[in-house]
Amino acid sequence: MSAITTTRIGAPSIGRSPSGLGRATRGAGRRAGRWLGIFVPVILVSTFLVYGLGALSNANPAASVLGDTATPADIARINHQFGLDRPFFSQYVHWLGNALQGNLGSSYFTQIPVSQSISQRLPVDLSLAIVAALFAVIFGGLAGTLAAVKQGSWIDRGITLASTLLATLPAFVVGIGLVVIFSTTLKVLPSAGYTGFTVNTGQWFERILLPSLALSLELGVGIARQLRTSLVEELRKNYVTGAVVRGLRPSRILIVHALRNAAGPALTVLGAGVPLLIGGAVVTETVFALPGLGQLALSSAAQRDVPVVQGVLLVTSALVIVSNLVVKAALGWLRPSGGR
Amino acid sequence: MLKKTLRFRSAQISVAILLAVLLLAIFGSALAPQDPLHQSVKDFLQGPSSRHWLGTDYLGRDVLSRLLAGTRTSVTTAAEATLVGLVFGAIPGLLSAFLGTWFDFIANRITDAIMTLPTIVFAIGCTAVLGNSLTPAMLAIGFLSSPLFFRVTRAAALEFVRAQYVESAELFGASRFRIVRVHVLNKVIPTIAVAAAMSASAALLIVSSLTFLGIGVVPPAPTWGGVLASDLSYLNQAPWAPIVPAVLIMLTAGALNALADAIRDASGVHVSLLSAASSKAATEEAAATELTQPGDDADPAFLGANSANPVIDKIDEEAADVNRHSAA
Repeated sequence: MSAITTTRIGAPSIGRSPSGLGRATRGAGRRAGRWLGIFVPVILVSTFLVYGLGALSNANPAASVLGDTATPADIARINHQFGLDRPFFSQYVHWLGNALQGNLGSSYFTQIPVSQSISQRLPVDLSLAIVAALFAVIFGGLAGTLAAVKQGSWIDRGITLASTLLATLPAFVVGIGLVVIFSTTLKVLPSAGYTGFTVNTGQWFERILLPSLALSLELGVGIARQLRTSLVEELRKNYVTGAVVRGLRPSRILIVHALRNAAGPALTVLGAGVPLLIGGAVVTETVFALPGLGQLALSSAAQRDVPVVQGVLLVTSALVIVSNLVVKAALGWLRPSGGR
Repeated sequence: MLKKTLRFRSAQISVAILLAVLLLAIFGSALAPQDPLHQSVKDFLQGPSSRHWLGTDYLGRDVLSRLLAGTRTSVTTAAEATLVGLVFGAIPGLLSAFLGTWFDFIANRITDAIMTLPTIVFAIGCTAVLGNSLTPAMLAIGFLSSPLFFRVTRAAALEFVRAQYVESAELFGASRFRIVRVHVLNKVIPTIAVAAAMSASAALLIVSSLTFLGIGVVPPAPTWGGVLASDLSYLNQAPWAPIVPAVLIMLTAGALNALADAIRDASGVHVSLLSAASSKAATEEAAATELTQPGDDADPAFLGANSANPVIDKIDEEAADVNRHSAA
């Protein structure tokens, strides 16, 4: 049956038979090749979008930097310094080449290298996004599993209702709600500020806890809903009935068999939710006054500091691509036949 | 599709709410009892009274009037974003089912690339480039929602492209355009409607977040998100204030979500990025377009559809087989 499916999909059966070690490595090579064939165009297109967005700008850095008294010669000099006197496509190739070497240009206004401002702020967003993803997996996973196992009970209905309501609330409302509950009323957690992970880990966690919780809710709701749907479907399948009849412990059936099969789509939701985490981090940073990439994007957008905006967009979309690769690898591990 | 959908109680309630919101959007400014921009500093942050039914904000402006007058901006922006996503997503999606492998491959890669851009950061970037007003921000949000429309339209169209009546129409010499218009478009419309409702609800929430960040809306102009954001800064003085704008946003977004669910249940389409590549035709092309494989594309912002997906089921059954072997 698997042979029929695979030929229809048009990919060879990979590593299925125990003796197919050679085939498996060849398959892995081909898979890596196909990944490259997909991701190189994607990276090219998304960097082109990011750069093209900046180039659409009619912001004139020379005029903003030099002020009203600029002479045409000065403007030409500044334009040459930023490479703005070259054709668009050559600018793009130059920018991309530099970006691959970690050079994202420098700010129109402060002349600080963009990569430097970004690397200062990146740890904030990475901590936020990673802790939020963990929370989303833990809470979303628990809620989804609970709702599926207790299907139709008041627990299930409560979880469904809560996730439906949460899905209709803007992110910043949730953040401010958490501040009101935990900082203003209970006074147990700080409502603002950031401490480096290596500076003081305890304080780092204390300060990252509320923001990541706020950030995780949207993704957690997505995971919970998806997990509930696929787990309910999975628990109705014949192999679960078979396992029950054979007398396997319910916990073993759930964790070893059903959950492993149902986790795939939920994991995909997690992967696709990374742009949400990173985009949402901007809002969360503002609520909790964290000095992150979003604040950098906001302040440079107000000044029309195009290189900085481009740099932030490039780094955030690179993060998304990398995390998609990680999720893809995890999917392949979880579900060998899905990794084709 | 409309009649069937309206049989659902949830759809009836949602449509009623949305019609009310639409009326507010049209007549809101006229209904506003006071000038939504009139400031009166000595009356700031008052509670509900006979003069100000919903109290006043931090500048002493009448909250009820601001909410009524702000409805139009909130609704039009969400509609604008949805429309942009629809045009940039559904049309290429429909075309890529017909124009052959190359167009399909390129459109898919562009879609993948768009999906790597984080929505809010991209919207901020757009306002940096095109100026801080709502239209660039909405263009950005609509553009970034186009992958949803593209994927679901493409998947739905692929399902019908190889239907026998399409083949027979081809044999009778119908042009491609006629086939799309007469035979495929009707079948794809419920899918697009579900995607539109989901994306309108997402856009409404994103717009309020952007307003909170000061992106898009220029301050004195009232919007729901703006009233909510400004109320939230004065929670200590007026803890009840955010409730009404929050409820307005929640009701509208919830009604759109419920309507999407009802259309989906009524017409039996499966709309989510997760199941977007579920058609048989799509699986045949899976080797060429790896990223569109089932289980690869889901967007929790637009999620809510279950993945009644034959391919995922099949894969899961295989996985179950493998598990069973390893357990035995």
